Amino acid sequence: MTVDISLTVNGETRTGSPEARKTLADFLRDDLDLTGTHVGCEHGVCGACTVIIDGRPVRSCLMLAIQAAGSEVTTIEGLATDGGLNPLQQAMWDSHSFQCGFCTPGFVMQATAFLRDHPDGDEQQLREALSGNICRCTGYQSIIDGVLLAAERNRER
Amino acid sequence: MTRIAAERYTGASVRRSEDPRILTGSGRYVDDIKLPGMLHAAFVRSPLPHARVLSVDVSAARELPGVVAVYTGAEVEEMTVPGPDALSTLIGSAGPIPEFSLLATDKVRLVGDPVAIVVAESRYLAEDGCELVEVEYDDLPPVATASFALDPASPPLFANLGSNISRPHSRTEFGDVTATFDQADRVFDFHIDVHRHQNVPMEGRGSVASYDADSGLMTVYTATQSVQLSKIIVAMRLGLEQDKVRVIAGDIGGSFGLKIGASREELAAAAAARALGRPVKWVEDRGENLTVSGQAREESFDIRAAVSSEGDLLGLDVKMLIDTGSYPAMGGGVPDIIQAMLPGPYKLAALGFESTGVTTNKAPYVAYRGPWASETFVRERILDVIAKDLGLDPLEIRLRNVVPRTDPPAVMITGRPLVGITTRESLERVAEMVDIPAFRRRQAEARADGRYLGVGMATFIEAAPGPRAPGGPSGPMGLESMRLRLDEDGIVVLFTGQMPHGQSHQTTLAQVAADEFGVPFEQVRVVVGDTDVVPFGVTGGSRSATMTGGVALHGARQLKVKVLDFASHLMEVSAQDLQITEGNVWVRGDPDSAVPVTEIARRAADGEFGPDADADLEVVASFDGGEGGWSGGTHCAIVEVDAETGLVQVERYVVAEDCGALINPAVVEGQIRGGVAQGIGAVLLERSAYDQDANFQSATFMDYLMPTACDVPRIEIEHLETVPLDAHVNFRGVGEGGMIVAPPTVVNAIEDALAPFGVRIFEQHLPPARILELIAEADSGQ
Amino acid sequence: MKLPPFDYEAPETTAEAIELLAEHDDDASVLAGGQSLIPLLALRLARPAVLIDVNGIGELSGVSASDGQVTIGAVTREYVAEESQTVAESLPLLAAALPFIGHEAIRSRGTIGGSLAHGDPAAELPAVARALDAEFVLRSRAGERLVSAADWFEGYLTTARRPELLVEVRFPAAGKGTGTSFLEVARRHGDFAIVALATSLTLADGTISDARLAFAGMSDVPVRATEAESLLVGERPSAELFAEAARRATADIDPPSDLHGSAEYRRKVAAALVRRGLRAAADNAIEGQ
Repeated sequence: MTVDISLTVNGETRTGSPEARKTLADFLRDDLDLTGTHVGCEHGVCGACTVIIDGRPVRSCLMLAIQAAGSEVTTIEGLATDGGLNPLQQAMWDSHSFQCGFCTPGFVMQATAFLRDHPDGDEQQLREALSGNICRCTGYQSIIDGVLLAAERNRER
Repeated sequence: MTRIAAERYTGASVRRSEDPRILTGSGRYVDDIKLPGMLHAAFVRSPLPHARVLSVDVSAARELPGVVAVYTGAEVEEMTVPGPDALSTLIGSAGPIPEFSLLATDKVRLVGDPVAIVVAESRYLAEDGCELVEVEYDDLPPVATASFALDPASPPLFANLGSNISRPHSRTEFGDVTATFDQADRVFDFHIDVHRHQNVPMEGRGSVASYDADSGLMTVYTATQSVQLSKIIVAMRLGLEQDKVRVIAGDIGGSFGLKIGASREELAAAAAARALGRPVKWVEDRGENLTVSGQAREESFDIRAAVSSEGDLLGLDVKMLIDTGSYPAMGGGVPDIIQAMLPGPYKLAALGFESTGVTTNKAPYVAYRGPWASETFVRERILDVIAKDLGLDPLEIRLRNVVPRTDPPAVMITGRPLVGITTRESLERVAEMVDIPAFRRRQAEARADGRYLGVGMATFIEAAPGPRAPGGPSGPMGLESMRLRLDEDGIVVLFTGQMPHGQSHQTTLAQVAADEFGVPFEQVRVVVGDTDVVPFGVTGGSRSATMTGGVALHGARQLKVKVLDFASHLMEVSAQDLQITEGNVWVRGDPDSAVPVTEIARRAADGEFGPDADADLEVVASFDGGEGGWSGGTHCAIVEVDAETGLVQVERYVVAEDCGALINPAVVEGQIRGGVAQGIGAVLLERSAYDQDANFQSATFMDYLMPTACDVPRIEIEHLETVPLDAHVNFRGVGEGGMIVAPPTVVNAIEDALAPFGVRIFEQHLPPARILELIAEADSGQ
Repeated sequence: MKLPPFDYEAPETTAEAIELLAEHDDDASVLAGGQSLIPLLALRLARPAVLIDVNGIGELSGVSASDGQVTIGAVTREYVAEESQTVAESLPLLAAALPFIGHEAIRSRGTIGGSLAHGDPAAELPAVARALDAEFVLRSRAGERLVSAADWFEGYLTTARRPELLVEVRFPAAGKGTGTSFLEVARRHGDFAIVALATSLTLADGTISDARLAFAGMSDVPVRATEAESLLVGERPSAELFAEAARRATADIDPPSDLHGSAEYRRKVAAALVRRGLRAAADNAIEGQ
């Protein structure tokens, strides 16, 4: 069965009629052509599918698309303004945070939530906050450095 | 006044060109591809590890609305060209090549073996269709262990092999093994097991295949380490001429050796696309990736070591058994590299090496970052145990045995000259970075408090690309080619067969070319991933820093010569008086003469040249690796083991490494840290688990545990000043080293931590339960 | 790993939900946070014909305290409980356990009731519920039914819930002199417990007047170490006492064996957690006085 839904994605109203069983991750990627959100495991462990829903980080593979009806969803595509990079993305670029890039959207969204909630968080807190996102390429240090750099720059502003 | 030349890019941590798209979710991975009319494939997979297939009934699946086609293994055979495994045929095989069908027809050989392909309007529907396919199996006794596979009574996986020997026994000796062992003061015997674990890139395997009947052209979008190799195999198995296949790769979410060639599933999906006249996408899910894509490292070693009472490692005699899993992949070749590398950077006088490979009902043994890594594991492990037995310090025994750098260089007993190695320097540097005496004091205090800290080190070398072979190229897999062109917009375009999947080639190669040609970094573009456009290449074997960095360097110089020659006609000056810096061509000593490269390019494209000018501003360069060289280093870890829970925390991790000249330090360090993380994962968390009947037990991320940000500490890295060997190219590879040497580093540290219990470790996988078992076994004197 | 097809209902009131449960009985699964159910669906291990999504029933969400009891609506998000002042003040054991539940993104959606109704013996909340003798409030066509934590967990992933809606869970507020600790041994930060221990100790005049020890990961349900609890009551905290409690707690227990730990391993770890957990709880109790 399908259900008609309307939700806000990256500030825009989007609609669709996904099957009830379709995950939010698949809906974003297939129906809304927002392929920035990646699917890495489909059972809620790797974090590559992380988006922000009504202010909270959420694994979009563990949510039915129809459950997001009426919500405000932010994906990786919704972060940068004017096609540029936002301060977190910029700091990650400067820090060589990533390599293959597949885990990246999930990390960026999770780090976005962390910086908002813990602007002065220390490295250990940050590592715990990001421990639900798996990266196979970097060994995490460069990602941690990127987020901490963004936090530092935010404080200087 | 002479303009100061632009700051050099090479050696600087230039920000990556890849990142703006990666950071904004604009990368294009296989699963992001949508083509008009595209269908989705899923596979019916065997729930049994070893069974005859009696019947496959796809009728109900075919009736499901949304399912467009279902093909059994037999039907796929008719749609493809049967033959022996393509990769084995191309790369060569140490043993007989097994015969099998693309999808399983008469039998299945591992849990997850694909039996039929369902093609539907969505992946959801394709999986629904798979559930409706009824397969009748007749169980066969599973071959779950290497020891049973050796038994002639074990049912052969492959009829044409007649047994489960995938690589027949062979033995080679270097030096006088018998005499060395006869004369040694001490002979040690060890048995060491390395466990099965796997690549696990965050993106699985997959492809979108699209066939155009009018032109007869098959286009395959895929994730691969070599588009050309994939193309060769697609053409082979689909019975197409090479020029009728085009393979394109965009962004790739990691591979670590997994995505080489074209998988059985991708080939079946391509055949389906051709039959249906619609593009077919198949992207494996995590369950498929963990279960069938491939695994590695399941090897066991019996090792005899001949040692002097002062701690000289005189000789090794090693017997290796490798479990190559079911379908052939790379496992059969691993013993050869292990044999070649076993002496490492040490003065070994004699080596006896024998090996056997067996097939079992497990996933194929694929290349996994440093496929030969076990040679470093066993060697660095036994050095620690021997040291302890003789009352020597682990650093001391290594310094005693390491080959000094001489000119001419010492030669490994297995043949390769140890030219330019800096092993001694890396050992000494690590000792400085980690104040071991101070640590020993802290360790003693902690023990008094019931806390168990340990320090461990290990050293390695890897042939990245290796020293120049007499009369031959340095690099594995032959010469490296590159096409370089100054296009009409003044962009220096590099067409390379390298296929980056995290290595940052689009940045590093541009750095080298920008420096050598004389344009800003932004004026170089690196083109990858299209068989219509790039030369042959494979990304792997840690080759690209030397081979591709080198061909970019030389090729850029050659292109510059060509461009200056053309410019000399335009500017009516001798080419010798011209130079290119910061994107301008100008006469030496006359800055006002500067003409932008973009203008030179435009004029060449516009035809503004005389009859003598060659306006085809393109070169094809190739590079054989120059003098090549070794990469290597020493790693050291400090760990804490909780002796009540068995949990291990890596508190500190230190690296002193030498990978030659660095193109981009941040990229180099990222590669090392990623490899170390995989090594930590292998020891503490990761195991591809099968039960005693070859049923697979780690098909989700809840059972196959990946290291996270809480498991990998900060990794301190120092780069040694390298010994330049080549007049021009001294970049050396660094992709695999971290993963090669981290496991023995961590295991050595754990054993040191557990020294009060008398624990000796002869295995690589140490989950908490195993740590407690080792303590209990040592306690009870086992 | 795509979900199988199912029919979907999104009741807006408890009454509607109850009717749907009665109508569909065993053919229906209740979808709350989805953090446990959706992976099961993705792996096609669960095949409900109908999913009853209760996320839209506002009255099922919320934390309130009265008369020494804290009531948490079944659909209260774990992160809401984590941020709740009431939980921090009155349910310190729950507050200590919540950060162990997966990762932040899981707790964004996962619910208190959902986790307890799923009944994974290696999860944190079932052990807390057992330790505190929580009360489960169910509603159905037949009316309201209360089930104690001791009776709630019947077996592996099996609870006493029939075609009923779990509407709220009631926890007794921590009394004066109570100290708690929640300790977990897991393979990695955020993983399910190999063994976890929820401990609560109440001290009166330096003597233990109440002791609760509930394990996760030691059986097919969360288990109370009742023999150890009896030993502790009436005694003064000491390392020797806690060591003996650890022996009693693990003497007759038969923990599971799996990829992450053998039965023997779990027993050893459980004993260590009892020693450590009791000391931490006692320290917290003393500090709080």
